[in-house]
Amino acid sequence: MKAVCWMGKSNMETRTVPDPELINPHDAIIKVTRTAICGSDLHLYDGFIPTMESGDIMGHEFMGLVEEVGPEVTNLKRGDRVVVPFTIACGSCIFCKKKYWAACDNTNPNAHLMEKAYGYSGAGLFGYSHMMGGYAGGQAQYVRVPFANVGPLKIESDLGDEKVLFLSDIFPTGYMAAENAQIQPGDTVAVWGCGPVGQFAIASAFMLGAARVIAIDRFQERLDLARSLGAITVDYSEEDVSVLTALKDLTGGVGPDSCIDAVGLEAHSNELQGIYDVVKTALFMETDRPSVLRQAIQAVRKGGTLSIPGVYGGLLDKVPFGAAFGKGITMKMGQTNMHNYMKPLLERVEKGQIDPSYIISHRITLDQAPEMYKIWRDKEERVTKIVIDPWA
Amino acid sequence: MTSSPLTEKPYAQDRPTSTPASVVVNGRYLPPPEDKDGKIWVRSSALIVGDPQSLYAMWRDVQSAPLWQEHVIEVAVSGPTTSRWSMKTSNDSDAKVISWDSEVLADEPGVRIAWRSIGGDSDNAGEVIFEAAPSGQGTIVTVLQEFRMGKLANAWETLVGRNPKQAVIENLRHFKALAEAGEIPRSQLDTHGDRGVIGNFKRSTYGETVPTPTGGN
Repeated sequence: MKAVCWMGKSNMETRTVPDPELINPHDAIIKVTRTAICGSDLHLYDGFIPTMESGDIMGHEFMGLVEEVGPEVTNLKRGDRVVVPFTIACGSCIFCKKKYWAACDNTNPNAHLMEKAYGYSGAGLFGYSHMMGGYAGGQAQYVRVPFANVGPLKIESDLGDEKVLFLSDIFPTGYMAAENAQIQPGDTVAVWGCGPVGQFAIASAFMLGAARVIAIDRFQERLDLARSLGAITVDYSEEDVSVLTALKDLTGGVGPDSCIDAVGLEAHSNELQGIYDVVKTALFMETDRPSVLRQAIQAVRKGGTLSIPGVYGGLLDKVPFGAAFGKGITMKMGQTNMHNYMKPLLERVEKGQIDPSYIISHRITLDQAPEMYKIWRDKEERVTKIVIDPWA
Repeated sequence: MTSSPLTEKPYAQDRPTSTPASVVVNGRYLPPPEDKDGKIWVRSSALIVGDPQSLYAMWRDVQSAPLWQEHVIEVAVSGPTTSRWSMKTSNDSDAKVISWDSEVLADEPGVRIAWRSIGGDSDNAGEVIFEAAPSGQGTIVTVLQEFRMGKLANAWETLVGRNPKQAVIENLRHFKALAEAGEIPRSQLDTHGDRGVIGNFKRSTYGETVPTPTGGN
């Protein structure tokens, strides 16, 4: 089959690789009908996530048709149409039982690598480094899905693939970001980053009762989408725009009730700290560039909530923890507990409350994927979301 | 807490405890023993969904140990408290097989099992205890294992790139996954593109050259 392989930093290649096979009894093989490139895949492309190896198959946002199931998969059969969550969960451990699916104890075969870095390991992820499990991803024609009795969401209706594909990651991730923001009716919410997760965070913040959402980015195509959802936009790249001043101006000097960092570890900044982080990460003295995190901690109102769906990987410099303490803020973060959100959000799509396909800008083939990684990373061609048809 | 003399364990040092694998004695946290005199210790614990009795039974079924213990290829029961263990030190066709006899020293259903080797290619002893978790949800399973750095340990370290301490930790992780989820997660056999020279080398640094036990599948 064809698959998009990580072959080194800034080097993706579409290669012919062996088809996946059933390995464990709860496995299923899915014939992928649509997959997507996630913003977090760009962190892999840029070499920010350790333990990627040549030949690793990319991709954790995918859906398709069940091709084959293992002997202990009882809920799926060949031909079923499913969306697969990017986090793999066993459904049986203490954390799955508490519905912290992303913290599943039993799905990372390389948990010892995570334990060294993080103390404990979370769930295994598709196509996201050996530290996160070493599983082959779904930017391919077929993929093996472990614990298929727990994760995949069956799509019974005739909704098109593009309307439900993003239930695999970014829609639930944006929704959980808004939920983590502890929004009360009438609140003002600021969202940094208007990429796909930021878009769904904005939409979800309104669903959860926010009266005003302020969207921060520097790309017109993204800010346009944010305004189409009803957000007020701040373009931080414009001359004379200070995000902190803008957020004060837009909240009567109080600051947003909640701030959502939908950017993560590769933040860009046009302030001095942006140069500081670029230099330090280049010298391996810092792993992440946390300029959005710093700004969000500064910006959030006293007693407010900071929600972090953006991915962070390692050790962060100059995080203003004194400000966080001094204002008594709450921070909530982490990989998405996908399994809690897929079904309720599918219902919202089925009821027509939201059509997640509005963010798609590019529809491509597997062979075009390596080049599109570069184009998206370099922010060319007004990319907002790339969807791949593996059979085109 | 169950009481038992430390002398059950052939190489055990004097420690102020009643049950060697336990981490709390008289209200105080007890750190694991330090490596000393060619003897290494490892203690690991896991919170496992399941009752102490059934987890005990799964562990006590030594013939099934190859399903979840790395490199163990066969365990043959040789008597009411004895068994013969065989381990293949790598997956290569010319890999050496080492064997030893093991004896159960203490066997309290649903509470604990203690064992030691009684001859063969390995000097080892260990204990596993099963305690209901304070939350009332699940069982805390604690393993204390000791090895002489003899043939077994050396073979492991030099040939398979997994030191014996990590092997004990991984085996408990496999046991937990099999008990809770009915399978041990595996990704080593997943499809992939060309690994190149460096990629193949790095697999061993990730522990991926040690085959994950199949869990019987």
